[in-house]
Amino acid sequence: MANKNKLLTDRPLSIEEAYEARPRLWWIYTLIVLIVFSLLAWSGTAVKFEGFASKGIEVAKGVGNGLIHPDTNLLFNLTTEGVPYQLFQTVAIAVLGTLIGGLLAVPFSFLASDKIVPKWIAFITNAVILIIRTIPSLVWALVWIRVTGPNAFCGVVTQSVCSIGMISKMYITAIEDIDVRILESLDASGCTTFQKIRYGILPQIIPNFISTVIYRFDINVKDATTLGIVGAGGIGAALIQCINSSRWSMVGAYLCGMVVLMLFIEFFSTKIRNKLTRGQ
Amino acid sequence: MIEFKNVSKTYPNGVKGLKNVNLTIDQGEFVAIIGLSGAGKSTLIRTINRMIDITEGQLIVDGVDVMTLHGKSMRRFRRKIGMIFQSFNLVTRSTAIKNVLTSMVPDMGFFRVLLGLFTREQKMKALEALDKVGILDKAYTRCDQLSGGQQQRVALARTLNQSPSIILADEPVAALDPVTAHQVMSDFKRINEEMNISVLINIHHVDLALKYASRVIGIRAGEIVYDGPSSQVTQAVLDSIYNGASVPQAGE
Amino acid sequence: MAKKKEAAYRVPLFDRIFKPETITLPNGHAVQRPRSRTPLIAAILIAVVWASIQLTGFDIGIIIRRGHQFTYILNRIFHPNFSYFTKVIGPLLDTIKMSILGSVLGATLALPFAVVASTNINKNGLVVSLCRFLLNIIRTLPTLVIAKFAALIFGLGTFAGTVAITVFTFGVVSKMMYEAIETIDMGAFEAMESAGGDKFQSFRTACFPQILPTYLSYCLYSLEMNIRAAAILGYVGAGGLGLLINERIGWRDYEGLGMVLLALFVVVFIIENTSQYLRRKLS
Repeated sequence: MANKNKLLTDRPLSIEEAYEARPRLWWIYTLIVLIVFSLLAWSGTAVKFEGFASKGIEVAKGVGNGLIHPDTNLLFNLTTEGVPYQLFQTVAIAVLGTLIGGLLAVPFSFLASDKIVPKWIAFITNAVILIIRTIPSLVWALVWIRVTGPNAFCGVVTQSVCSIGMISKMYITAIEDIDVRILESLDASGCTTFQKIRYGILPQIIPNFISTVIYRFDINVKDATTLGIVGAGGIGAALIQCINSSRWSMVGAYLCGMVVLMLFIEFFSTKIRNKLTRGQ
Repeated sequence: MIEFKNVSKTYPNGVKGLKNVNLTIDQGEFVAIIGLSGAGKSTLIRTINRMIDITEGQLIVDGVDVMTLHGKSMRRFRRKIGMIFQSFNLVTRSTAIKNVLTSMVPDMGFFRVLLGLFTREQKMKALEALDKVGILDKAYTRCDQLSGGQQQRVALARTLNQSPSIILADEPVAALDPVTAHQVMSDFKRINEEMNISVLINIHHVDLALKYASRVIGIRAGEIVYDGPSSQVTQAVLDSIYNGASVPQAGE
Repeated sequence: MAKKKEAAYRVPLFDRIFKPETITLPNGHAVQRPRSRTPLIAAILIAVVWASIQLTGFDIGIIIRRGHQFTYILNRIFHPNFSYFTKVIGPLLDTIKMSILGSVLGATLALPFAVVASTNINKNGLVVSLCRFLLNIIRTLPTLVIAKFAALIFGLGTFAGTVAITVFTFGVVSKMMYEAIETIDMGAFEAMESAGGDKFQSFRTACFPQILPTYLSYCLYSLEMNIRAAAILGYVGAGGLGLLINERIGWRDYEGLGMVLLALFVVVFIIENTSQYLRRKLS
């Protein structure tokens, strides 16, 4: 925009002219600010703070107390009620759910690429992936409960289905990022198409696929902690029961266990993924 | 022996890659091909193992007319010709030895290929190839942990591992720093002398070309404008290759 | 120096237990081949999967025997009851409002925290670790649990939902932002400091313009996630579509559920595409 005036005259611009020729984008900024603020004002209408609930302050105090003094008996109790068993079950749900989801996502990701399959198949697959991703995992769980009954198996089935959406999306990216120059060198050494896939493509995408699965495992563990709220196994069920009956020290114990588990898993999954993709 | 007889290459978009090229390269020669970008250096090299098809003339490599090859016979033909690339073209997430072993894949059965089963002899041969380029100690290191020079040596070992009679190298040192470039070039020289493998290198660095190659081919706009020993390359010759000033052909 | 580095490099535990094999070539040169990790990893994986099957009561037979139940429900969901739409509008708008407000509040709060938690701006290691630890803990708390607490403390309704979304956005955006801040070019920041600017001035003029596009892009990304997250918060009483979802499933009104999900699908689709379009513009 600034160049427009410059083209008209051959002599260098004076300072005033340069200033006059400055890009004028103020109306765009104003527009953006207006849109954002009107959106905010609109969303503000739904949210009215009506003071604390009748027992609100009590609950806040209770949670704080519970976190400081968690029920150590429950925390190290080795029965099925205890925190360790509940955590292990939560992780178990995520392990199986992620594994099955990761396997199911492989055909999905190939069927979603219009470079591999006809356009209409790719379109349908993408639509299915989008639907799977949009329906919240809690809804999946509530539907599957009708099939499996309220147990940990329901959690596994739910996560197997939910994971497909994101995992296949990330698989697709990995497939698109393949370095095809390697194929050229395999070509030059006389490889067949099958040999090129086995030694040029698979060694590149397998670390990416595993890394994706581990990343999703991280998310699934966190997700599995809430699936219990609807009865699909894992620590969530016990946690929500304790919250509802205001047993704050038990709530504290479950929360502590969850936080430690999540930090632990995130630390190791980041480490393994870095090793896979960067080799260190 | 490689013989170009009136070879031309016209790309589908009408660009002339090579114009009536006549060349004879004997077994065991070290040839550097120099010229501007787009002059046809890559085209020349890639026609030899038929990564690019020629459109006119005849190209005979070790007594085989390359244009008669197809499918299986072409893949078998390519086994004898090693190729090195500017960007190394390694599977960076695999170890060095795994990359070297890939060059044996075309000679293996389906299930061995599928499962990635290599025999002890194959592994020893791969290690020997790595030893020849001096990076035996990096055999079990992932390639993304290696420097550019080391990666190019892995690529060289991979090529040696297929026991070629000819090595084609397309800008092998363009991505390397000067010191490493000299090391890699002397590796080529050593291999050329010790194993009597013909080496054809596309190269931008004239000083490297003159130092290591015994024969220099200058190419301009798809035509050979100089072909002779590297000792006879003068400034005038370089001017003709790079600037288009006409200089009588030296050599033969 | 290279030698020093090698000496400092610790031999991994695995290689100390399973000593590398030494291969000697015919010419006498030797190389150490580390033992393959694959058998150990495979063994661990099999053990973990076996334990998981025991812990979850995994039984594929149930799916085969009762799978028709699922297709039956799915079939009904795919025949949404359009007359139910009028009841969906209110909670749907609530969900959108909650996620917009929560995203903006959370992302705004995240910025100062992200700056304090990035090592290249804040040289005080203790403060950085403390901040990051706090952020990590916040991120480990599931949104639904936060929403449950918020609903108990602030009463049922959209306010609780907004609080939950804010906390969740805050955790995610802070982490992504301090990682982004750590990758920026610090040259301009140094130039500002050498010209006599204080930390805030230097950050505002030298770093902020660099991270602004990334920041806005993350805000939009979290908005995309939040719409989906907000849709279920009603399940614990924090307002929005979740309440309806719970109710419809409770009454086995899957056609109604289908309508709720369809509405959600359309909104998510519109917001995701708008946001992705804007994000492409930003980068």
